[in-house]
Order: sequence, then structure tokens, then C-alpha cells
Amino acid sequence: MKKIKAFFQKIGDFFKKIWIIISEFVRCKLAVWIGKGLKFIGKYTGISWLLAKYRKNVSNKHKKAIAGYLFIGLWIIGFVLFAARPVVQSIRMALSDYAETRVVTTDTGESSVKFFIGGFGISQFKQIFNDNPDDVEAIVSTLVDIAVVVPLVLIFSLLLALLLHRKLKGIKIFRMIFFIPVILLSGNLLGYFNSYDLLTVSTLQSSELQGMLAFYLPEEVVDVIINVFGKIILILWFSGVQTLVFLAGLQKDNTAIYEAASIDGANKWEMFWKITFPTLMPLININIIYTTVIYANTGNELTRIISARIAPATHGRDYASALSWILFGIEIIVILVYVLIFKLANRKYK
Amino acid sequence: MENTFKKKKTFKKFLLGERGESGFVGKFFIYLLLIGISFIFMYPILKMISKSFMGLEDLMDPTVIWIPTKFVFNNYQKASEVLNFWKSFGDSLKVGILPTLCAVISSSLIGYGFAHFEFPGKKIWMALLVGIFLLPTMLMSIPTYVIFQKFHMLGSLKAYIYPALTGFGLRQSVFILIFYQFFKVIPHELSESAEIDGASEVGIFVRIAIPMSVPAFIICILYSFVWYWNETVLATTYFQGNITTLQMALSSFEHMYSQLFPSGSIGIGSAAESFNQGVLFAGTMLTIMPLLLLYAFTQKWFVESADRSGIAGE
Repeated sequence: MKKIKAFFQKIGDFFKKIWIIISEFVRCKLAVWIGKGLKFIGKYTGISWLLAKYRKNVSNKHKKAIAGYLFIGLWIIGFVLFAARPVVQSIRMALSDYAETRVVTTDTGESSVKFFIGGFGISQFKQIFNDNPDDVEAIVSTLVDIAVVVPLVLIFSLLLALLLHRKLKGIKIFRMIFFIPVILLSGNLLGYFNSYDLLTVSTLQSSELQGMLAFYLPEEVVDVIINVFGKIILILWFSGVQTLVFLAGLQKDNTAIYEAASIDGANKWEMFWKITFPTLMPLININIIYTTVIYANTGNELTRIISARIAPATHGRDYASALSWILFGIEIIVILVYVLIFKLANRKYK
Repeated sequence: MENTFKKKKTFKKFLLGERGESGFVGKFFIYLLLIGISFIFMYPILKMISKSFMGLEDLMDPTVIWIPTKFVFNNYQKASEVLNFWKSFGDSLKVGILPTLCAVISSSLIGYGFAHFEFPGKKIWMALLVGIFLLPTMLMSIPTYVIFQKFHMLGSLKAYIYPALTGFGLRQSVFILIFYQFFKVIPHELSESAEIDGASEVGIFVRIAIPMSVPAFIICILYSFVWYWNETVLATTYFQGNITTLQMALSSFEHMYSQLFPSGSIGIGSAAESFNQGVLFAGTMLTIMPLLLLYAFTQKWFVESADRSGIAGE
């Protein structure tokens, strides 16, 4: 055991050494080299001459704005290339009377997928709310489901991060174990594990535990307990990613502030609300967004209806698009409400 | 008399702890909580490990729950054969590492652009960034596929790398937002003083912003790697059979198994040769193990580098 530990220690040290070398390299050498390279290119293409001219004429504010656009330029290129068309298409489909998908074979023999869209109006939305009461019910229940789960995931992940941030013996092992949900909840591993009854949620619902509890308690109480436990465990699974994001945020705040606060006589409760919470506030917003999106896209009633609608591949996209935009609306509402609530909570303690 | 009082006091200190340090009772509850939650997370992995060492008799026997009566190591060997382990592992590494590097570099640049500069239209772009992340993925998959087809990006790693380079990789909006928040809390005085000293915008980014947000880099690298590693649906549609990652091999495991070990052809041993969960779970363990090992090594830096950046900042 000791040998194995020493072996891993050695590997760890080796990687640490490499890490230090790389980070030093990036910090010292690479920056200089990039600078030199840029200067060289600038000199021989006339860009530096232009830049010098532009520096004289343009104000600092404009310079900053241009630099900002250069930094996010990559994203704008990506938006134009990969995202703009699908987004516009799906809006167009949601606001159409019918939309079809056809596979078209060109003259050269290559086949490609094409969309045919006709009509303009809100007929799809009318169809949802007038003709399909089941779908409306699904919309409402999805909204409620997301609205309940998101804050619980946030609170759980915050608590877990605070637990993992403590300096205790063996905390590293726990930190490693808490990474398991991140792995198992990505790709289609979740469905895979669920189908073999490996997740604790399904085991809890189907196992002897129910029978055991029913021995002592009335059946209704057992059902409630099992349901609540199942939900809690599900929420624990969903809070893996968020926990580590919070943990990364906690790594940044320094211990000196806490020492100063405790000398001034602040208790832990006050310290949490006045120091920890404000530093985590921006990350809370990110986690609200992330949780809402991931939870809204994994197996609720609305997504089931949408995927059933687009299953035929030739038609049904128009209706599915309209439903998707409603799901989008649900996500926006949930995110806005919770971001506002957390903002108010933060302000109250300021 | 005084002695017993002192003893009582130290006992109380041991149990409840002094200010700032939790005592035995507090620690006990924390450990209880941690172990309980850990069990929930460990359960599927433990179950899988135990089943991956079981032979067919143990799997059929309902009295065998955790510890197999006879350890079967053959499962792993078979599974690695079915997965074509080393080749798939190489492909998985490629699919994991290259897009991750592209995604982290581009999202850090984009996040820095949003966090550090003021420019007209910034709020609109930010809203679009979040809005696109909110769109249901099912709806976007086919239109995106059509676009990739038009750019001839299908059938190779290009289908992952180009979107990752431009900020539209797998769930990349989250990374951009994480970088945005980490860069935003860097004090303005620091970058301003660097500017006065003659540093360029790129120089400030490389020398001040990056060293101060190492936790963000580590977390984004980890997540991106895990997500790309585990993605199967997108990978099968984009790569069109040219690249087979471990997870893709796992999803067609049963089919491959029946081809490699046709049941009945061996005669007496046929019952043991037929497809069983033990082999499947051994295969699953093989696909997940690299990720667990990766985190085991990176989490050390996660803590240490954070300490260093804290000192650099103040």
C-alpha cells in the first residue's frame, strides 16, 4: 500500500514539475516570443506604421472598444457561421403554417437535407393552446418541475462546496468522489446507468427499502419519504458540476479577510453572508443558468413531446419548434426570477 | 477539584471545539454527511466493479450481492478486446484533448474580451451568448448538421475543432461565462498599472489575467475533456465512422461482442462465452477509469495553483 502511495506520489510530483515548467514558460517566454513575432510581422507588413498613425488619432476609449471586439471576434465569427442560421430557421419554423424536411440529391450525386417552410403566422402556437390540452399540461408541469429543482440544486451544491472547502483529513478523497457525478451525468452514460438499475435513485424506488419501511409506517408516509429521498438523491446527482464551480470560486477568496472578521467578533453565519456569499454571487448566476439549461434538456415531459414530434424526420418540426421556443421562454423566466431573488438576498445583507 | 474542572473543560473543547475550529461532534457530523453522500455517488461505480469481476454463475445467483464467489479477471481482457482498447483509447484522447485545448483558449479570449473591455453592443452580444445556450439542443442538431455538411467538416475532427475554436463547442457558453466572471473580479488597478508600464492588451492578458484565474482554467479543461470524452450521439453523427472513441465502442458493445465471440461455436464453454453483464461492466469501467485518474492528478493543482494565484493577487 505504501509502495503504491509512493508510486502515485512520484507520478504526481513529476506532473507537478512539468506543470511548473509549462506555467513558467507561458508566463515568461511565450509572451515575449508572441510580442516579438507580432512586432516582426507588423514591421514588414506596414501594420505597425498604420497602428502608430491610428494611435495618434484615436482616443483611448475607441481603442479599448476595438480591442474588445478583437477579443470577442472569434465568437462573432462562430455565431455567424454556426449559430445564426439554425436560430433564424427555428424561429421561422415556429412562426410558419407547415415545415417539411426533405433529403435532396444534387446533380453530382451528393445528398443533403433541406427544409421547406410555408406560411407565416402563429398557427403552431394556436394549435398548442387550443387543440392539445395535454401539451399545455406538460408545459405547466415542466415549468413547476424546473422551478422547484433549480434552487434546490443551487443550495445543495453551495453546501457541498462549503463542506469540501474545509481543511479536513482525507478531504482529497471526498473531492475525488464528488467528481463522479460530473462523469456519469454526461453523454448518454446517465441513461445507460439508469437502464441497468445502477443509479441509487432507481434502486431506492424499487428495492426492499420500501417494504422495510412499510413494516413500521403507514403506506402513504412511506411513499412520501421514498419520493422525497428520491428527489434529494436526484438533486445531489445534478449538483456535481455546480459544486466544483463553487469550489473553484472558493479557492480564490483569501483567508486573511476571515481572520480579520473573526478578530472583529463576527460569527460564522455573518461571515458566510458578508464575505463568502458576495464572492460567490457571480458564480451563482452562472450556476442558475447552467442548472436550468441542463435540467430543462434532460428528460422532462416537454422534451419528450418535442423529441416524439421530430422523430418522423420529415415533418413535425414546425410544431416542435414552437414548443421549443416555449421551453426557451420557461428557462428565461426561471433564470430571471432566481437571479433576481439571489440579488435581493445579497443586497439585504450588504 | 480544580483538576476535574480543567478536565471537564478540555473534554468540552474536544467535543464541541473552540471558536473557529469545530470539535469532535461537528467533525463527526461532517464526516457522516460526506460519507453518506459519497456512498450515493460511489454506489454505481462500486456495483459495477463488483459485477465486472463476476462470472455468469455469480451474476445469475441472487444470493451473491457484492463479493463474487470466484473472481473472474477474464472479463477485463475480453472487454478490452471487444472495445479494441488501445486504438479507441488513442482516438478518445485525440477527441478529448484537441477540442478541449481549442475550446479553453477561445473561451478564455472571448471571456476576457467581455470582462475587460467596454464597447458598444456588448450587452446584446452577451444576451445572444446566453440565449443560444438556452436553446433546446434537440432542435439545433439537424440544422447544425446541415451547416457542417455544407462546410465539409463531417467525418473528421474538424467537426469538433472549428466550433470549439469559435466559441460554439460542447456547452462552451458555460466556459465563456466562467472565464468572464473570473476575469471580471481582477482589480482594475492591476491592469491599469500594467498599462502605464507599457504592457499591451495581449501582454496584460497573458501576464496578469491568466495567472490569476488558474482555477477557472483547470475547471474548464476538466469539464470540457470529460464532456467531449463521453459524447456519443454527436460523435457518431459527426465522425461518420471514421473515428471510434471508447464511448462509441461501448455503445455498440453487444454487437461487437457477438461478432468476436460467436456463441455456440466453442461447444462446452459456450455458456461462459455468451454475452453477460460482467463483460459489459468491465468495458464500462475501462472507459471511465481514465477520467477518474485524470481528476485524481489534476485536483492537486486545483488547490495548489489557487493558493499561488491568491498570493499574486493581493
